[in-house]
Amino acid sequence: MASDTGDLLQGTLAILILKALVTGPSHGYGIARWVESTTDDVLRIEEGSLYPALRRLEDNGWVTSEWGLSDNNRRARFYTITRAGRSHLRTEATVWFRYAGAVSQVLRSAPSLA
Amino acid sequence: MTNKSPGQPPVWRRYLRFWGSNVEADVDDELRFHLDMRARDYEARGLDFDDARRAAVERFGDVQGIGGALRTHDRRRERGRRRHEYMSDLTNDIRYGLRAFVRAPAFTTVALLTIALGIGATTAIYSVVNAVILRPLPYPESDRLVQVWMDNRRTGLKEDLHAWPNYADLRDQNRVFSAAAAYYTGGYNLTTAGCRENECEPQRVRALVSTPDMAPVLRVTPILGRMFIAGEDEPGRDGVVVLSNGLWTRLFAGDRNVIGRTVRLNGRERTVIGVMPPGFAFPTRDVDIWVPLALDAESKQQRSSYFLWAVARLKPGVPFERAVADLNAIGRRLEQQYPADKDIGVHLVPLPEQVVGRTLRTSLWVMMAAVGAVLLIACANVANLMMSRAAVREREIGVRVALGAARSRLVRQLLTESVLLAVLGSTLGVALAWGGLRVLTRIAPEDIPRLDQVRIDLSVLGVTLGVAVATGLVFGLVPAMQSSRAASGGALREHIRGGTGGRRAQRMRRALVGAQVALVVVLLTGAGLLIRSFLHLQRVDLGFRSDHLLTMRLSIPAAKYGTPQARATFQDALLERVRQMPGIQGAALITDIFLSSTPNSTIFRIDGREMTPEEQNVEIPVDATSGDYFKVMGIPLRRGRTFTAADNRDAPQVVIINETMAKRFWPNEDPVGKRFRYGDGTGNAPLVTIVGVVADMRRTGFDAPVRYETFLPHTQYVTSYFTLVVRTAGDPLAAVPAVRAQVRSLDAEQPVFEIASMDQLLSSMVAQRRFSMTLLGTFAVLALVLGVVGVYGVTSYLVAQRTREVGVRLALGARPAQVVRMVVRQGMVVAAIGLVVGLAGALVAGRLMTRLLYGVSPYDIATLVSVTTVIGVATLVANWLPALRAAHVDPLSALRSD
Repeated sequence: MASDTGDLLQGTLAILILKALVTGPSHGYGIARWVESTTDDVLRIEEGSLYPALRRLEDNGWVTSEWGLSDNNRRARFYTITRAGRSHLRTEATVWFRYAGAVSQVLRSAPSLA
Repeated sequence: MTNKSPGQPPVWRRYLRFWGSNVEADVDDELRFHLDMRARDYEARGLDFDDARRAAVERFGDVQGIGGALRTHDRRRERGRRRHEYMSDLTNDIRYGLRAFVRAPAFTTVALLTIALGIGATTAIYSVVNAVILRPLPYPESDRLVQVWMDNRRTGLKEDLHAWPNYADLRDQNRVFSAAAAYYTGGYNLTTAGCRENECEPQRVRALVSTPDMAPVLRVTPILGRMFIAGEDEPGRDGVVVLSNGLWTRLFAGDRNVIGRTVRLNGRERTVIGVMPPGFAFPTRDVDIWVPLALDAESKQQRSSYFLWAVARLKPGVPFERAVADLNAIGRRLEQQYPADKDIGVHLVPLPEQVVGRTLRTSLWVMMAAVGAVLLIACANVANLMMSRAAVREREIGVRVALGAARSRLVRQLLTESVLLAVLGSTLGVALAWGGLRVLTRIAPEDIPRLDQVRIDLSVLGVTLGVAVATGLVFGLVPAMQSSRAASGGALREHIRGGTGGRRAQRMRRALVGAQVALVVVLLTGAGLLIRSFLHLQRVDLGFRSDHLLTMRLSIPAAKYGTPQARATFQDALLERVRQMPGIQGAALITDIFLSSTPNSTIFRIDGREMTPEEQNVEIPVDATSGDYFKVMGIPLRRGRTFTAADNRDAPQVVIINETMAKRFWPNEDPVGKRFRYGDGTGNAPLVTIVGVVADMRRTGFDAPVRYETFLPHTQYVTSYFTLVVRTAGDPLAAVPAVRAQVRSLDAEQPVFEIASMDQLLSSMVAQRRFSMTLLGTFAVLALVLGVVGVYGVTSYLVAQRTREVGVRLALGARPAQVVRMVVRQGMVVAAIGLVVGLAGALVAGRLMTRLLYGVSPYDIATLVSVTTVIGVATLVANWLPALRAAHVDPLSALRSD
């Protein structure tokens, strides 16, 4: 469950959701599918924690939601990234790259792994 | 369960959204959409329907749990959103309302003042009612306290005093009281040992002399020291005193080491053992000291010496009725047991009722009803004002409707405005009430208990706020409903007859005016009845000349003046000195000029004649007077003579009676020379001979019947307590310092107290009546003014609405007088209906206040006729003035208007 995946993963989930919304509004299922297809199913979103995460983003003012019609004409809640959301995404992405870079650097440094 | 799938919500949930956005249904929909989409994807990959669904749920995880968490979250968010929306609407409405008030300063001023008057009067009177009636007495569980009276069927006095044995029997035999105390109040001359110069002036203090049971009955704890206890009520051991907080401050400057010091009371030393908390005032707030009641064995045997009050505390759980039954049973037993207790019963009154008498209660509730009526009249005026204003604002409201404001939203906004107006006006009103109360407590009679505790506190402000909001709703609702109705009816169209000028609105306005007139009639009648009662009282012949009389009281202590002779010598010397003073026309003494409700009285036996059983039960008061008392007071002598110097201690005992007594016991014969004996004839009371008959005087007050009177010469019946009566040439109060100086020159330690001119005494006797009359009169005038303003305002408005019609009539040849008649007639029909309804209400109100009336019937024709005349003239003028204005409009400009 979301609670024991830790801050890192929660933050990661937030980044993934915001990134998914950058191209345009989407419903929850659409976000999950986008992440799956973009990462070739490597990152599978924990679906149970997707919706609570969306609520948190909404409370923070990074996304807004409204009801609309899906492609197959069903009533669905669509999420849109806000200006604040985009700026948050940029900040988080920077942090993430630096972190990932640091970890890679550590892993590449000698002595090399056998 | 009708639903097989746990993921599916019950069917009814789907319909929830009919009533607006719904959190539960939204969460269900969102999750269901997700699961359906996922299942469809699985189906596309070849799974069958059921497997696809199962896999979708599996992949999602805890559907129920997450759904629950989302619902909780969304519900909270929704609540917050609504609250926020409501508050911002409210802020907007208030801001909008304030702007609207500023734009209409005349309307706002008049409305605010009207509300302030209504609320101010209501707040002031309510705070009095709250302090005097509603707030409990300052003793723990004060509703468990009862006053215990002797029901004296011989005199018909239901609230008579007890004899000691009687009290002791009730105390010991009852099963309903946890404690019962006996007491009486009296005065003491107080001097402090080792006083500083300015404190040495001898002073008179009021004392409560009580059994030690008083502490457990009232559950009072002194703030310093202790109350007296059992054992200290025995002669010789009773040299203790408990001080009131006020006396402690006055005498000892609040010195905490006062315990153990001594004071001299009536020449006897007593040790201070305690100080009472501030505000403790039993039985009245003028009590300065509490001392134990220490009777000797002989006094405790006397079954016919009635001088004790009694107060008791009910045991927990014992209802008042059971106490009444228990005490009545004891009373009947005692009656059979002791001949002295014949025709004597017990009468219980809850203490709170006793403290605030029924007359005062009635008059305060009448005042409360009166201010309520004033408030309603004020409300009607403001409602009318609002309706007139609504007509002006019609377009503005119409625009808002056109822009999509819902009618409910519009009503809410208008109500917000009126409540805002009410609250602002009430703030002003509280300020008015605060000022009014200062005047009110100054003119109020001193015998209204707890009047010193009247204040505008939180509970009063709470009630005021509640009344203010209610007021705003009352005067705001009708106009709000009407303008919103008119507006939603399409007010953007040019209004030809005007939404608020419509028939419906007119009827509403006329109804308000009628109601106002009715209320004014009720108030005026009530005030009229009180005024007529008061005038009747003022015309009552008291039987003596009350001008230029000075009175004061003295009590010469037995410790200093041990023998009757010593006391009589002091009295004679004092009278002689005062008579010699310049500007003094006469000086005399009497025990009491006026009788309290429980006078010192006794039965008597006529010498040489058999008295009927009824006559045998008649009690007559006993007073000591100096010979010229009747001359000084201006009471005519009808027969015989008054006392002379020859009626001294050694001469035969003589008595003077009043006319009422003479007529009752010696009809058709001359009572002079007849003899009787005080008491039941068995004791050693001497025979007294009637030497004179004086005219009747009202000694128990203006509104009580004349009683039998007997007067003894002060030389033969010497009291240590007496009233000095002085007739002066000039202002009686100007003679006070000189008379005091004479007393001091005789005995420097002798205080005089209750110094007052006769006019002051009489005025204080009718003070409560004058107070209620003044208040109700003020409210009635206030109501009349508000009512006339209301009638005038509505007629003016209705006439203005009909300017075009009047113009047409005038253009067609109607004479102005006809127009005036038409307008006035319509207004007067409404006033007449209000008058009739009001008169009916006045009859009911009059009956409710019968207790406050004297010499007038609640259906007093003269009052009703006067009120009808006043209302008739007032409403006529209020209708006539606007009508006159209407009749003089220029027909052409009237037709062009609009």
